[in-house]
Amino acid sequence: MTLLPITICLLIVPLAGFSGYLVRLLAMIFLWVGKAGCWNILSGMTGYIDFGAVGYYGIGSYATALLMSKAHAPFLVSVLVSGLVSALIALPIGLPTLRLRGAYFGIATLAFAEAMKQIILEFDKTAGVRFFEGPHGITLPIGPGNEFFYYFGFGVMVVVIAMTYWIRRSKFGYALRAVREAEQAAELAGVDTLSAKVKAYMISAFFLGLIGGIETYWLTYITPHMVFDVLITIQMVVMSLLGGMGTVFGPAVGASFLTVLYELFHRDFPYTYTILVGFIIVVVVLLMPKGIVGTLRKR
Amino acid sequence: MKKSKIDKPILEGKHLTKNFGALVAVHGVDFSVEQGEILGLIGPNGAGKSTLFNILMGVYVPDEGEVVFKGRTVSGLPPHKICRMGMAKTSQIVQSFKEMTVLENVLVGGLHGKNLRLREATQEAEEILEFVGLGRVKGAISGSITVPDRRRLELARVLATGAEVILLDENMAGLNPAEVEEVLKLLMEVRNQGKTLVVVEHIMQAVMGISDRLIVLNYGEKIAEGTPAEIADHRKVIEAYLGEKHASHRPN
Repeated sequence: MTLLPITICLLIVPLAGFSGYLVRLLAMIFLWVGKAGCWNILSGMTGYIDFGAVGYYGIGSYATALLMSKAHAPFLVSVLVSGLVSALIALPIGLPTLRLRGAYFGIATLAFAEAMKQIILEFDKTAGVRFFEGPHGITLPIGPGNEFFYYFGFGVMVVVIAMTYWIRRSKFGYALRAVREAEQAAELAGVDTLSAKVKAYMISAFFLGLIGGIETYWLTYITPHMVFDVLITIQMVVMSLLGGMGTVFGPAVGASFLTVLYELFHRDFPYTYTILVGFIIVVVVLLMPKGIVGTLRKR
Repeated sequence: MKKSKIDKPILEGKHLTKNFGALVAVHGVDFSVEQGEILGLIGPNGAGKSTLFNILMGVYVPDEGEVVFKGRTVSGLPPHKICRMGMAKTSQIVQSFKEMTVLENVLVGGLHGKNLRLREATQEAEEILEFVGLGRVKGAISGSITVPDRRRLELARVLATGAEVILLDENMAGLNPAEVEEVLKLLMEVRNQGKTLVVVEHIMQAVMGISDRLIVLNYGEKIAEGTPAEIADHRKVIEAYLGEKHASHRPN
């Protein structure tokens, strides 16, 4: 098992006197692995490409921001409630949208995330209250240092990966994979396809909400444009595709690879790094259509 | 085979009608199947056989009429519920879970159709694969096996759901005579386990040989019903298949 030494190394990094930069970078990677992993639980397993995943991240971010700044709730309570709120909203959204196929599901979810952003932007003005604070955003109480978020990010990452591992080996996982391969055949073989998809969607939303809450406390200031940014969804998609859709470690590999790539090129080529990263993504996808993990596993 | 007992049929279609826009795919079809029977369903292309199967499985909701399975009206229920009640079908166009192994394909049926735990389902799936003769490829990715093997895989998955009534939609299409012979043998064994079969098939010899009773559809309507011998001589059936000219040579 190579996982154990990696885990131990990662656990002692913040204590070993490495630079603050490294701790911060790793914490960012953990949280990206978590987000990409959430996307992978629904989209990687079932093939339903979710373009609105950032919606649940944003909902979680705002839930935590409101709870901590307005209700003075403790951080742990706030993030857990954020996850639950996201999962609960995912139920009425998932039930109709997960009946749609292919591109229609993608468009519907994209519209949902954009709608959530607009609601938070315009709600106060429309209702004549001060609650979401519209485009001005919400400031949170100053939180603890990077080490705190390092361990939290690490914890969430481990839970999301473990969850994916468990799902892939469970009855539930077989249902999701059957949906991806041939949905009607799955239904005819006794799989309650809609319920399986909605469950995966809600699990994914729960952890996205949780991660949104954690990152919000780390950032201490959020606006709708920041936390409902469609680029966040796109990152999750690209990371999962690069690593290997539907695999347990694909999102982890993809997220680490891409984040490190961004950091390296950003430092040396501050103006052209996105072109370089884009080029590398194209090459990897062409050479490894099943993603890094998906391709290596086949050999 | 004579049906002297007045048992309730295990599966009944009552005046089933399904339209797609202006096209009447199935029109007022009545039929019933007894437990343990093999019912053949024949008719020219486009006669409504597959549509009828899809109505029975809940893929389509009939515009009129109802499906009664084990004494319960099932039309309107989703396919997975009907499957869990004990009816399953193979698809005309093979629909395997391509990237999953042969064993995993069958597992899905046991896990969800029969609601088994992973362990029991695995054990049953292995037995079923041996039974249908796929034991040797159980670890292969199902997208990579041959067409005859894929047909068997469809049957294996249906068996894994624990179905009592099995609908076979052209399960022998694309097979050579020797392979057809093997499948027929398999189906007789399945029947001997007490299962009820409804078979749609274009290979006449096969369906005539195996069925206790036949129903003939043409343009969505039931035009004949009877034993294989009766059907082979039926004027309307010959007309539907070969045209009026051939039928007119025969007495009705």
